[in-house]
Amino acid sequence: MKILRGVYEGPGSHGILRVAASMSGVQAVLRAHPDEWYFPALHGAWTRTGEPAPVTLSPVRNRSDGSWTPGDLAHDLSSVARHRPEAEALIFARSEAALLSGEGAPILALPENPETGRSPKLVTCEWESFGIREVEAADLGLAELVKAHAGPQPKSPAPTVNLFGPPVFGPNAAAEYAEVERALGLIGVSVNVRAPLGATVGDLSRLPRAWANVVLCREAAEAASLYLQDEFGMPRVTTPPVGSVGTGAVLRAVGQLCSLDSKWMRRAVWAELARTAKLPWYTRLAVPETFRGRRVALFGDLTYTTGLGYTLAREVGLEVAWAGTYLAHLEKDFLFHAGTFTDEAFVEDDPEAVAARVEETAPDLLIGTHLEREVAGALDVPFLPLCPPVFEHPFVERPLMGYAGSSALADALEGVLREPRTGTREKSETVARAPEWTEEALEELEEIPAFLRGRARRLAEEHARTLDSPAVTPEILEESRS
Amino acid sequence: MTILNESGVPDVVSPLHGLSGLAERLPDTLLVVVGTRADAHLVQSLSVPLPGTPVGLSSQSGGGFGAHPRIVFVVLEPDEKPSGGALASRVIEAAAGFRRTELVLLVACRSAALLGFDAEFEAELAGRRLGLPVRALAPGAVGSGALYTDLEDGAIRALVEMCPSNVPGSGKERSFSKGSLLGKLPFRGRTGQRTATEAGAQRPVVLLGALPGPQEELATELSRVGVEVAGVVPGAEANRLPAIDEGTVVAAADPYLAAASRAAEERGAAVIRSLLPIGVDGTARFIQDVSALAVRGANEAGRARQVWESLEPLRSRIRGKRIFFTGDTGLEIPLARFLADAGAVVLEVGTPRLDRRSLAAELSALGEDVDVVESPEWRAQLDRIDAARPDVVVASPGLYVPLVARGHLCRSSLDLLSLGIHGYEGARRVLELFARTFERAEKLDTLNL
Repeated sequence: MKILRGVYEGPGSHGILRVAASMSGVQAVLRAHPDEWYFPALHGAWTRTGEPAPVTLSPVRNRSDGSWTPGDLAHDLSSVARHRPEAEALIFARSEAALLSGEGAPILALPENPETGRSPKLVTCEWESFGIREVEAADLGLAELVKAHAGPQPKSPAPTVNLFGPPVFGPNAAAEYAEVERALGLIGVSVNVRAPLGATVGDLSRLPRAWANVVLCREAAEAASLYLQDEFGMPRVTTPPVGSVGTGAVLRAVGQLCSLDSKWMRRAVWAELARTAKLPWYTRLAVPETFRGRRVALFGDLTYTTGLGYTLAREVGLEVAWAGTYLAHLEKDFLFHAGTFTDEAFVEDDPEAVAARVEETAPDLLIGTHLEREVAGALDVPFLPLCPPVFEHPFVERPLMGYAGSSALADALEGVLREPRTGTREKSETVARAPEWTEEALEELEEIPAFLRGRARRLAEEHARTLDSPAVTPEILEESRS
Repeated sequence: MTILNESGVPDVVSPLHGLSGLAERLPDTLLVVVGTRADAHLVQSLSVPLPGTPVGLSSQSGGGFGAHPRIVFVVLEPDEKPSGGALASRVIEAAAGFRRTELVLLVACRSAALLGFDAEFEAELAGRRLGLPVRALAPGAVGSGALYTDLEDGAIRALVEMCPSNVPGSGKERSFSKGSLLGKLPFRGRTGQRTATEAGAQRPVVLLGALPGPQEELATELSRVGVEVAGVVPGAEANRLPAIDEGTVVAAADPYLAAASRAAEERGAAVIRSLLPIGVDGTARFIQDVSALAVRGANEAGRARQVWESLEPLRSRIRGKRIFFTGDTGLEIPLARFLADAGAVVLEVGTPRLDRRSLAAELSALGEDVDVVESPEWRAQLDRIDAARPDVVVASPGLYVPLVARGHLCRSSLDLLSLGIHGYEGARRVLELFARTFERAEKLDTLNL
């Protein structure tokens, strides 16, 4: 039992629904209570494409109201199979409350669709449980769909790769695929299938045609790409294509797997570095003092946190004070990769604990998820919400991956690091020179429960600064909390 | 009017989405959500602006994201053994972090009950130790056909149960002292006993529901006919609740306040079963019936006629327009009744569940050609909307974007919840909202794209 101010990840069923909604031809059947229904509203808010969410609710009911009322699982599944001609695969997900009520995964043969004359494939996720949260469930759900559909295929005549990237609701998800596809096109490698975003069920069966799998986000397609590696001997490239170094590494790895001419490849990369990739240009234009001794803290998922951490540490030359992730199931991988650019790497899923670390470190730049926005604002730390979950969904998507993405990163960095160094020093000094606390105020602070204390202290110190008070008194503490 | 039960799955956003709005409306109240991570995720991710809701409605927290500051999650782990009192300690810990808390609402999600937590007991325990009223709400308790507004109903019910009980007839507000668990008053057992208006004394009137603005407007209208409103629930202050007992006349302003009305009835109050104060005729009948029960009869016909006349310019912009309600909030039936009276053509009124008893007056006032569909299937509704091509659809958040994409003009149902639709002024606001919608659509349609 924990008191939290927010969560980074949703339940497993949410991850499965995200994968299903990313693809066409996949219908999800969610076994849940009617009051757990929120996916369509979220889907509308996020995608704004106008396609209704491909999710059907099979409500868990306390009593059965008769055979024709939705609620009977076998009947609901059959009805989706019969009435939704576009459904080629049905994936079954259970909400946490349904799991708690002991709902099992169904075993049944689906009827034929009268329009297509075929019966859709039913994909069940037997592994669904509490420990498996949104991101891991999305990864495993995609793997289930791949397992159900991928079959032996002759390799494509020209070199092709599959792109595995973020599912729907990921920040700028479509743009990330597009940018990496464009970069691969420059070295003469075309994309066989993008999955899961925009893939059809037919695409899934064509996956083994490609020569290799390029995994943009490991957390999204670790299981699927490993399955393809084991079953079809497809090699995979897992470096995050973030920054010009990361993108170059991905292209070189693909080039090697596809036996491309290295001289020709290098020319393509150089042309791109001259034209599109502005991050190396930015780091050479700006004076070294812009970066020297500046400390950045990162918190987020696996791909963006490690990709950006590496880029900022090596390519840009900032000091990475620490890097953290909320993906507990990828702890080992994360600690290994983060160890290459920072001394302090950790796993944490309580936003308040992350906020406490930010407060302790007072970095010059914080890169995180939307849940870090508040602490960054309170401490006046420059903040970039670049790691999912990010709750912004602009109509115009800009990639953060690939060469174009490196330019977007350069723009973002210039925006936050442009302030003269003296200004930042002053700022970090203000943070360091936190107002003194009077004995009484400290006593009162101690009475505030631990999970709220950090926030209360920040608010009180902020309030003391605005009042120009040298010390935090109990009155200031009170006022700041009203 | 025909009522059809489609026995489908309607698109109703989880009532927990209303939590942030509820936190806004209940001052000095701490909302502790007890559930698994899934429930916390639900509340949190739905605090992003939903399609079709106006700016600033769902992002009260200021940061644009995250739940309201007075909402705290207690996240349960599935392997947790529900030892008695553990939850109460967490609630106490959470409450200690907030100043000026007068009331704690323990929102116990379904998963908490499934894990074996007894929210009622824990709430009482926490209340005893805190010296504050702590009430448990179970948003998932309603069997079939959850309404978006169920949580609001539950919260108002909790407030009604906490209302003090005075000597019948005095009708004074009394603030309860901290520490006494007033809601735990013994059940009086004289339900439905209507003590008549003896010796011309006015019976105190308590309004349930409605936003603060419309509450005030309704109170003004009622005082015009000589009825003084003794109190409103929820009011502006958490610790000042009106007395509700045998002598009280309780008037619910919203159709979905079934549990709250029942709680008032159980205390022996006379609950008005009339039209709801939505729309002109609804407001007129409501005022008439309230005054008939509280003091003496009043005739609102003249006032209603006057309001209808003043609304004439707006009516002319609505007349003949075809309206479809997909149905998720429970406000649909009175709204449809009003819009049909105003000259619109109501094609279908969806409603996740239909309480025929409490809506009897509304249903009989509904025009003859209106179809009510109980428990509609949302996919079938999409097809029906495509076939009927209404002029405007009042859509649930999940259907809003798909419908706009299919070229239908939409208003979100949550928009109408936050509009303040009650009373004569509310009627004007409703007509204005639709008139604005049509006007803007016409302007956009003239563009040569």
